[in-house]
Amino acid sequence: MQEQVNQRITYLSRLFLIILLILSFRFWYLSILQGDWYKQKSEQNRVRVFSLSPIRGSIYDRNSQVLAEDIPRFRLIYEKGGMEVEEIEKRVERILGRELSPPFPERGVGEIILIDPLSLEEAIKIEEAQNDLPGVRVETYPVRHYPRGEPFAHVVGYVGKINAEELESLYSEGYEMEDRIGKVGVEREYESLLRGEKGYRRIEVDALGRVIRVLDYRSPYFKNSVTLTLDGELQEYSYELLGNRNGVIIVGDPYTGELLALVSKPGFDPQLLSWGMTAEEWNTLSQNQDKPLTNRSLQALYPPGSLFKLVIATGALEEGLTDGNRKIFCPGFLDYNGWRYPCWRRGGHGAVSIEEAIAQSCNVTFYTLGLELGADRIINWSGRLGVGRPSGIDLPGEKTAFLPTPEWKKRQLKEMWYPGDTINLSIGQGYLLVTPLEMYRVVSSIATRGEVYQPHVLKEVLDSKGEVIRKVSPVLQDRIELKNSTWETLIRGMEKVVNRGTGQVCRGLPVELAAKTGTAQNPQGEDHSWFAGFFPSSHPQVVFLVLIEHGGDGSGEAAQTAKKLIEWWEENRGGKSGR
Amino acid sequence: MEDKALILILVALSLIGVLAVYSVDPLRGEEWGASLFSKQIIWNFVGWLVFLFFSQIDYHQWVKRGWLWYLLMVLSLGAVLVFGKGDETGSRRWLFSQSVQPSEGAKIALALFLAHYFSEQRENFDFWPLLLKSGILSFIPLVLIFEEPDLGSSLVLLVIWLGGLFVCGFSAKKWAVIGGIGVGLLPLSWFFLEDYQKARLLSFIDPGKDPLGSGYHILQSKIAIGAGGFTGQGWLSGTQSQLYFLPARHTDFIFASWCEQLGFLGGMVIIFLLGALSYLFLVIALRSPDLEGKILASLLGISLLFQWAVNIGMNLGVMPVTGIALPFISYGGSSLVANLASAGLVYNISKSGGKESWKLWI
Repeated sequence: MQEQVNQRITYLSRLFLIILLILSFRFWYLSILQGDWYKQKSEQNRVRVFSLSPIRGSIYDRNSQVLAEDIPRFRLIYEKGGMEVEEIEKRVERILGRELSPPFPERGVGEIILIDPLSLEEAIKIEEAQNDLPGVRVETYPVRHYPRGEPFAHVVGYVGKINAEELESLYSEGYEMEDRIGKVGVEREYESLLRGEKGYRRIEVDALGRVIRVLDYRSPYFKNSVTLTLDGELQEYSYELLGNRNGVIIVGDPYTGELLALVSKPGFDPQLLSWGMTAEEWNTLSQNQDKPLTNRSLQALYPPGSLFKLVIATGALEEGLTDGNRKIFCPGFLDYNGWRYPCWRRGGHGAVSIEEAIAQSCNVTFYTLGLELGADRIINWSGRLGVGRPSGIDLPGEKTAFLPTPEWKKRQLKEMWYPGDTINLSIGQGYLLVTPLEMYRVVSSIATRGEVYQPHVLKEVLDSKGEVIRKVSPVLQDRIELKNSTWETLIRGMEKVVNRGTGQVCRGLPVELAAKTGTAQNPQGEDHSWFAGFFPSSHPQVVFLVLIEHGGDGSGEAAQTAKKLIEWWEENRGGKSGR
Repeated sequence: MEDKALILILVALSLIGVLAVYSVDPLRGEEWGASLFSKQIIWNFVGWLVFLFFSQIDYHQWVKRGWLWYLLMVLSLGAVLVFGKGDETGSRRWLFSQSVQPSEGAKIALALFLAHYFSEQRENFDFWPLLLKSGILSFIPLVLIFEEPDLGSSLVLLVIWLGGLFVCGFSAKKWAVIGGIGVGLLPLSWFFLEDYQKARLLSFIDPGKDPLGSGYHILQSKIAIGAGGFTGQGWLSGTQSQLYFLPARHTDFIFASWCEQLGFLGGMVIIFLLGALSYLFLVIALRSPDLEGKILASLLGISLLFQWAVNIGMNLGVMPVTGIALPFISYGGSSLVANLASAGLVYNISKSGGKESWKLWI
């Protein structure tokens, strides 16, 4: 048996050698072949990189008034280690004389947030008692402040925490969880300008996340600020003018595309959205029937009503269906195929020229011209004047008109296009829906006799020292070539609207005003009230559009609002606008 | 010749053990007696006295009383389960308020018992009955240790038993049968494992799966060893162990902490010393004039090799985390004393009992 045992022990010794070799080989593989890779992993273990929020650029109005800026807030951080959290909590409570509310949120690398936000007075108290509070520090971080609030909410927008979708698409640009990002308006449109550069702190930590030392630090800085074309006071006055009615006011310069006011009512408080609101508050806001989050000027669709008669008139004049001489008789209605289509004036306008028809907003004239043009040519001319095409405004979420065509009706509603549909279309009713900005653009193109400038809200980009590094120059998007007589007729007609037509409310203003009223029937209730125009009509400097939801007759609410607006302008800006 | 080599290797390993514990001792700045490395020095002192004691007593005296050690082993392991207090991991491994770990002694006791039991049967070596009886007798302490629970030590007992069967010359065919049954039953053992043990095994198979959970140990250990490179990051440097990323860095993962500091070269010294020591146990077994000495020395050699190979394998990420300490190096008294005791036994075998050795009084 001894022999056998000896043999087995010899076998065993070979097994021992094999195991020794395998382990040595594996050891060599790990420490020599893969050594560099593991060195890197070891580095990742001990070094944490902490980003510091960038300071966002400010947003100013055209007169350099602040519309949005970052202001510092404080929070109290405790770097765990040294003392028990309970002890630190007790000391802080004693120093500040108020109770803290644990549990405290953890923040990576073993830091906890004791208080957020901390008031300035409290921050000073903490700094003074620094010796009693090892590991406690006051951290400054920026929050967005909107000093002018609601009237600017839609244009300026607001910032919020980055969401999962945004993070996924912007990860490569250095965005991280908890980062702020522009959500709507200018804040979103010019995010890349406003965002600024992040700073960082590279820290060596141990396995428990305790900070061993700071390896490297770079403070965050901001890159650019922007100046908008908005006239802050005009914007605020316009917002005020709308009172408790929902609606839109757009004011701008026809020859540059600069928007001086872009108001959508109701607004919302951008501050609340930026600093975080409860789910309940958010639900109330987002489910509000009045849709305060929608920028009505470019995101809401309305029937244009009689404003659309400007498009019909353009088409009819250009196609030679009418000229200064043709008069159409209005008995107060139009009978067509056994249906009776009324004019808004029961008694009729009698025989009216096209100019007169614009001034009086005579339905029968436009029914007649619309029928002669036909639906296809009407849609065509709408497109020629820019309805149904995005304006290219530098604000996110712009919508465009819905232009109904016979093909669309057949396809979608499985019904043929009746002459009645054309008649409705001729006075801007029926299926047709437009955004206020589109109608603003039609009016602006008439003011400039065909020069279409891209509407915009960005005026200048400033660098971190406040120096202008870029001025936005006007972009001539399109040149609408029409007969000179057509422009003349349209503008004469619009002047007559004010002097002796539906817009007489505005007669007597100290400016040459050309405008058009609109009264849009809608399924929601009382008619929408439109009033759009420009002044001075001979050399236009200001284009405006007022829309008041359910404001009734265009010659009423909207025209009166426009009157106050123009009066304000003449009083406060009149001198400046003289060319 | 072997006896001198044995002493030399043991001295080297003891010194490395103290140095290794010192290098990762979080309390090394504290006063003498409070720090871990000073305790390790004291344990070495005790261990060497025990070595001296075992080296001077004729091993036949121990082997002869195989049943006595067996009985003491089962009783003390039973006592652990009844009286033992759970440590921080929830295992009950200790007696006398965390000072004695009977499972360490059980490794020697089982080797002594099997050396006695198998050598008794040398005249009528009947395979199957012997397999069954020795199996049942070995599994009693094994199950007691497993219940503590201490998977690592119970595996050591299993390997000692299997080693005994192998050394005693069971035929190759029959080995194949046993091996087949063993492999067939292996999956069943899954049902006896605790959740944390299952997690360790799973994370061994795929350590990247849950890097912050149970795979963490293996990953951090590999990082430490890999970051050490060829010559290491220097004595008392290395962020993995010094900044606590490496868990159990003075016990189960002391090899990784050592390698982070002293690299492949430093690690190979330990592997070489432990390899040479276990090889030496086998050489002494071969040279031993009688069967008792051969079986005992080779079983102790197998036990030693299994422990260090599994521990280093675990540090290198090729073995699951089973909680087996690195012999002579890991911080801890029971393991060190038990290992020096078995080395003492083998030393005595190398002297073939020794003419003037002491007699046991029991």
